[in-house]
Amino acid sequence: MKNKKKLSGNYFKDFGTAVAKGDMGVKLSLLVMGAGYFARKQIINGLIMIALEIVFIMTCVFYAAPNLAKFGTLGTVQFEQVFDPLTMTSKVNDYDNSFLILLNSIIALFIIAVFILVYIGNIKAVYRLQVRKEAGKHINTFREDIRALFNEKFHITLLTLPCLGIILMNIIPILVLVAVAFTNYDQQHMPPSALFTWVGWKNFKQLFTNSTTVTFGYSFGKILIWTLEWALLATLTTFIGGILMAQFINNKKTKLPKLWRTLFMVAIAVPQFVTLLLVRNFFADSGIVNTICSNIGLTDFLKSIGLVNSNLTYIPFLTNPTWAKVMIVLINIWVGVPYQMLIATGVLMNIPVDQLESARIDGANSFQIFWKITMPYVLFITGPSLITDFVKNINNFNVIYLLTQDVYVTSDQLLANSNAKEVDLLVTWLFRLTNEYYNYKIASVIGILVFIICAAFTLITFTQTIKGNREEDFR
Amino acid sequence: MKKTVGSIVRHLVLAFLAVIWLVPILWLVVTSFSGYKGINTAHFFPETWSLNNYKALFFEPDSVVQYGAWFKNTLIIAIFTCIVSTSFVLMVSYTMSCLRFKGRKGLMSFGIILNMFPGVLSMIAVYFVMKSIGLTNSHLGMIIVYSAGAGLGYLITKGFMDTISTSLREAAWLEGASEATIFFKIIIPLSQPIIVYTIINSFLVPWGDFVLAKLMLNSGIATDWTIAIGLFNMLNKSLVNKYFSIFCAGGVIVSIPISALFVLMQKFYVEGVTGGSVKG
Repeated sequence: MKNKKKLSGNYFKDFGTAVAKGDMGVKLSLLVMGAGYFARKQIINGLIMIALEIVFIMTCVFYAAPNLAKFGTLGTVQFEQVFDPLTMTSKVNDYDNSFLILLNSIIALFIIAVFILVYIGNIKAVYRLQVRKEAGKHINTFREDIRALFNEKFHITLLTLPCLGIILMNIIPILVLVAVAFTNYDQQHMPPSALFTWVGWKNFKQLFTNSTTVTFGYSFGKILIWTLEWALLATLTTFIGGILMAQFINNKKTKLPKLWRTLFMVAIAVPQFVTLLLVRNFFADSGIVNTICSNIGLTDFLKSIGLVNSNLTYIPFLTNPTWAKVMIVLINIWVGVPYQMLIATGVLMNIPVDQLESARIDGANSFQIFWKITMPYVLFITGPSLITDFVKNINNFNVIYLLTQDVYVTSDQLLANSNAKEVDLLVTWLFRLTNEYYNYKIASVIGILVFIICAAFTLITFTQTIKGNREEDFR
Repeated sequence: MKKTVGSIVRHLVLAFLAVIWLVPILWLVVTSFSGYKGINTAHFFPETWSLNNYKALFFEPDSVVQYGAWFKNTLIIAIFTCIVSTSFVLMVSYTMSCLRFKGRKGLMSFGIILNMFPGVLSMIAVYFVMKSIGLTNSHLGMIIVYSAGAGLGYLITKGFMDTISTSLREAAWLEGASEATIFFKIIIPLSQPIIVYTIINSFLVPWGDFVLAKLMLNSGIATDWTIAIGLFNMLNKSLVNKYFSIFCAGGVIVSIPISALFVLMQKFYVEGVTGGSVKG
C-alpha cells in the first residue's frame, strides 16, 4: 500500500517538474497538445497529438456534455406519443432514455479519464524530449518511434487491442451494472417508455429485508446457502471422484486402461448442453426412467419407505426440492468426473516413481501409498485449481439452468414472490430476474454480492501466485 | 485364486460404472434413430427404427428446424472467434510472461480480479452495449461478444510461456532480433501445444455456449440461431413432443466434430498444462 502511494506521488511529482521546468514548447503543450513535439521537429507526432485533442474536444462537446448534463437525474422528459389524425402517423416527442444516458455517461467518463492520462503522459514525454535535447542526446525520428513499438515498447502494441476488447466487453458492462444497482431500473421503469433514476442504497436494503410483500431477504439467504453447499459438494465430489477413477483405471491390475478411459470420454465428448437437456428428459416425471422404475417396483418401494410422497405416481427426480438437489449433484458428478479424471491422469502419470518405489520397499501397502504419497502430490499440483473450480461452480449456470428451467416449479410462496426457486444458484436467479422479470436493479445488487464472494475466494489463491516470485523459478 | 477374484471384481466395478456413464448417451443415439417423433417414454429402445430424424434435420427445414443454417452460423462464428481470441490470448500472455514494463504486475492482478466478475451478470450489460451499437442478431456481434474479452484468459498460456528458457530470448537479443521477431520466431513455435489447446478451446466456445447466444440472438427467426439455441428451442414445452427425436439426431451430429476436437484438445491440455507445472 505504501508503495502504491509512493508511486502515485511520483506520478504527479514528475508531472509537476515537467510543467515547472519545461520550456516554451512544453508549456504550450498544456494548451495545444503536440506543441512540444513541433519544438523538437517531431512533426508527425505533433500532428497526431493535435488531431487527438481535436477529436477529444469534439467528443466532449457533442457526446459527453449533453449526456453528462443529464447524468444527475438520468433524464426528465417522459416518453410521449401523440397520434396525429391528419397525417395518420404518431409523433414521438424528444424524450430522454435513462439507460442510454447512463451508458453514454459512463463511456464519456471513461474517455475523459483516459484522455487525462494521455494528457499527463504527453506533457511528461515532451519534457523528456527537452531533457534529451539539452543533454545533446539523439531524438528519435518518427520512423524510429514506430520501430520502438516493436521493440522496447512492444507491450503497448500487443496490449492495445486486447485491452480495448476488455474495456468494451468487461469494464464498461461492469461499471454500468454497478451504476444500475443504485437506480430503480425495473419493469415499471423501463426505457424508452418510462424513466428511471438514482435511489441510493435502497436496493441493497431491499435485498436484506423481509416483509410480507418483499421476500428478497428470505430468498437471498436460502439461495446463498444452497449456492455455497452446491459449490462445495460439486467441487469435492468431482475432484475426489476423478482422482479415484484415474487411480482405478491406471492401476497395473486393470486390463485395457485405454479402452476404459475412452468409454468414459464418450460421455463428455457430447456437448454439455446436449447431455444436460437429454438427462433432464431422461429423468422427467413421465420420462423413461420413471417408467422403468415403476415397472420394476422401485417407485412403490420408495413410497413405502417414505422417500416419495404417497400421492405421487412417479419419482419427482427434478421436481421435488430435495430430490432435485440430490439429482443435480449426482448429474454433475456424471458430467464432471470424466474431466477431472483426465486431468488427474495427467498429474498421476508424472508422480516421481522413485518415491513410490521406496515406499513400497519400506513395506507400505497401496492404501498407505495412496494417502501418504499420491494424494499430497496431487493436492500440491491441483490445489490452486480446486479454488478456481469452487468459484466456477458458484457461477455454474449451465448445469442448474439447463436441468431445471421449465421443469422445476417452486411451491414455496415466499421464494416465488421474489422469482426464486429452491434449486437456483445466485447466478441463475439473477439471470431469471433480468431475462424474465426485467428486475435489473436487484439483479445488479446480487451480481455485486456474487462478485465479492468470488473475489474473496480467488484472492486467497492468487495473491500467492502473483506476489510470490515463482514465475521466474521454472526457467 | 484370490488374485483372479479381485481382478474380476475390479473389472465388474469398471463395467458397471461404464454402463452408468454410457446409458444416457446410448439413449441419445437410439432415440435419434427412432421412427417416432416425440419422447418415447415407454421403452428404452425405439419400437420402429428409421433415418427420418436425420433427414428432417438436413432436408426438411421448417420454422423450428434450420440445422444447416445453424451449423453454418456456428461454424462462421467459431472460426472468427477462434482467430481473434487466440491472437488476443497470445498477445497478452507473451506481454505478461516475457516483457518487463512498469505496471505489469498491477495489470495482471487487475485482470484476474476482473475475470472474477460473474459473466452471466455482465452479459446483460453487454447485451445493452451491443444493442445500442446495433450488433445484436448478427454474426459480427456474436464474434465480438465471444472474443473481445479473451485477453483475460491468459493465465494458462502465460504459465506455459514462463517455462520457456530466457536464454533463448537473450541469445536472439544479442543477434539483434527485435521483440516482435522473438515473439513470432521463437516464442510462438515453442508454445505449440498450448497454442493448439487455446485454438481448440476458443473454437469450442460458440458450440457449447448457450446463455450469451440466447440473449444476443433474440430475433425469434430460426435461421439466425446457433446450434445450441436451436436445439434448446426444440425442447420447449410446446415443441418437445414433436421434435425430441430430431433434437437427439442434432445432438449426435454436433457431437461428432466436437468430440474429435475435444479429444485432441485434452491431449494438448495434459501436455501443456501439467507438463508446465510439474517442472516446478
